[in-house]
Amino acid sequence: MNFSNTMTTAQSRFLIFGLLLLLLTGCHSYALDKAQVDIRKSFTAGDFERTQEQLEKFKKKNIYKSKDDVLYNLESGMVYHFAGKHDSSTIFLSKAEAEIEENYTKSITRGITSFLVNDNKLAYDGEPYEDIYINAFNALNYIHMQDFEGALVETRRMAYKMEQLDIKIKGLVSAFAKSDSSGRVDWGDGKVNIQNSALSHYLASILYAKSGDIDDARIEFEKLGSALEEQSTISEFRKRPIEEFEYLKNPESYNVLLAGFSGQAPFKEQEDVRVFGGDDNEENNDDFYLKFSFPTIHLYPSETYRVRAIINDSVKVPLNLIEEMDIISSMVYQAKQSIIYGRALLRASFKAGGTKLISGAVRKEHKNLAGIIELLGFIAQETSEKADLRSWQTMPGSAWMHAIRLAPGQHTIRIEYLSEYGHVLYFDEYNVNITNRTQLELIESIYSN
Amino acid sequence: MKYSLLITMFFAVLFTACEPSNKITRIDAGTTTDLSGRWNDTDARLVADEMISDALTKPWLNQFSRTHQASPVVIVGRVRNETMEHIDTEVFTKEMERAFVNSGTVSVVANSQEREDVRDEREDQQTNASYETTKKMAQELGADFMMIGNISSIADETVNKRHVVIFYTINLEFINVETNQKVWIGNKKIKKLIDRKNYRG
Repeated sequence: MNFSNTMTTAQSRFLIFGLLLLLLTGCHSYALDKAQVDIRKSFTAGDFERTQEQLEKFKKKNIYKSKDDVLYNLESGMVYHFAGKHDSSTIFLSKAEAEIEENYTKSITRGITSFLVNDNKLAYDGEPYEDIYINAFNALNYIHMQDFEGALVETRRMAYKMEQLDIKIKGLVSAFAKSDSSGRVDWGDGKVNIQNSALSHYLASILYAKSGDIDDARIEFEKLGSALEEQSTISEFRKRPIEEFEYLKNPESYNVLLAGFSGQAPFKEQEDVRVFGGDDNEENNDDFYLKFSFPTIHLYPSETYRVRAIINDSVKVPLNLIEEMDIISSMVYQAKQSIIYGRALLRASFKAGGTKLISGAVRKEHKNLAGIIELLGFIAQETSEKADLRSWQTMPGSAWMHAIRLAPGQHTIRIEYLSEYGHVLYFDEYNVNITNRTQLELIESIYSN
Repeated sequence: MKYSLLITMFFAVLFTACEPSNKITRIDAGTTTDLSGRWNDTDARLVADEMISDALTKPWLNQFSRTHQASPVVIVGRVRNETMEHIDTEVFTKEMERAFVNSGTVSVVANSQEREDVRDEREDQQTNASYETTKKMAQELGADFMMIGNISSIADETVNKRHVVIFYTINLEFINVETNQKVWIGNKKIKKLIDRKNYRG
């Protein structure tokens, strides 16, 4: 096919217009990135009311578009959760979960747009770890609402998803590898091994025991043991032997579940790669420019080293580190890294190749126009190529828990977050009324630094 | 020609904009509808239909009526949801209660939550209602059988999540309150295959 001979001036103008349009497409993604930073900032400062207002404002301004609904619902669910509005939180989190499932079916239109522009044009379908932790926080919502059966549904979903994740990631990588005929991308799975979720088994063990299902509680307890054992993410000195959790087997030995969340979700950063090629001979016209951007994930350093509860200003109860959600999230993400990298590279090659093809076709008849097209192609690549930095900003980093028994009456519970040197970084204080009928009271706190 | 095409397009856009975004059609409550693949009203109805016909035709009912010369009294206990979905079991247990009461062969008494309200009302009557209309205390009808059960599910899916199979098994049992004897066990199995589309427009 002789493409160069068929290129008319009208077609060239049309292409220039297309390239100009491409230049403007990346702008919305930057506004969302900024919104995400603002949300994280106000949430981690503990100002849930302000975070709520910001979310509503961004939604109204269409910064969270319909393609970002999952993200909006995740953030709203978490804000409402820690603001104590558990019913609303459940609605938002369940909506996010349903949308993630719905987004399994990909929009062809969005797919094409994302291939021409960037991944921000795709409907956000949540990271696999986000899909898992939705259920963890929903389970806590149900415990707050004293619906243990509902909480158990959530923990079951969480454990099931965790089991499926390993298979899913490996399957995804092999599917991409099979469809890539170029053989230029290494589709390795990032050597990740998805672990058992200690958090889901810990919660399930408590919930089964409290529901009188001693046998199921025992099974979950055993799974917790293997999860703690398998969780290579928890460093040796923080590791807790399963014997420390023996109390879980006896539901009469506790009526208060203490939960502390520390740290923040990992954050994504954009990395750009630029490749210039060709020789100095202008006649050859083999210069090329290629830019591609992809997100990398980074852990947020937390100051919290230990978490403890002080009951009635006297008894100190250390909370066990149950799950380092940030590390698990990061590990899961690493598995997807090569897929994202490969897709960004293919997209950039397509953009660069397209510009080259068009300018080459125009060059023979309109040398100056070809120069403009190349320049616009260069600018279009620079502006449209943008990493998808969308992620759940309000997800905490680590989960700490312990269950204790308190006698009927009024109690004060202070949850303290300690530094490596034992300094109290932050504390939350709660007044709890325990009666003979109290089955399980959940005291939950968060410190994001 | 060009203008007529433009005018047609203009009106097409105009009419599309005027059309309401939601279209509501009333359908028969017995119609089978499967939208998401999750547990829905059709499943609850299938369970209720099967359990009602099974419970009312099995030998326990005749045996009890013959021995006691009265219809058995049943109380609905807990039907545990052991699935990965939030399922409201009351949808089919209420349907069963209705069928039992209307059949005239099985009596049903209020369950533990319902009777709390009734007891509160009776207690209130002791001080506030007229002597003639006050209902007596300690006259409740004791249940002969308690209906308990569970719903569990097994999900299986392909690596690419395109095909999902969900298998539900629902067990309901009548347990003799005095002897713990199980006089009836009903079971209903439901299996669904969900095929997800990879792409849409």
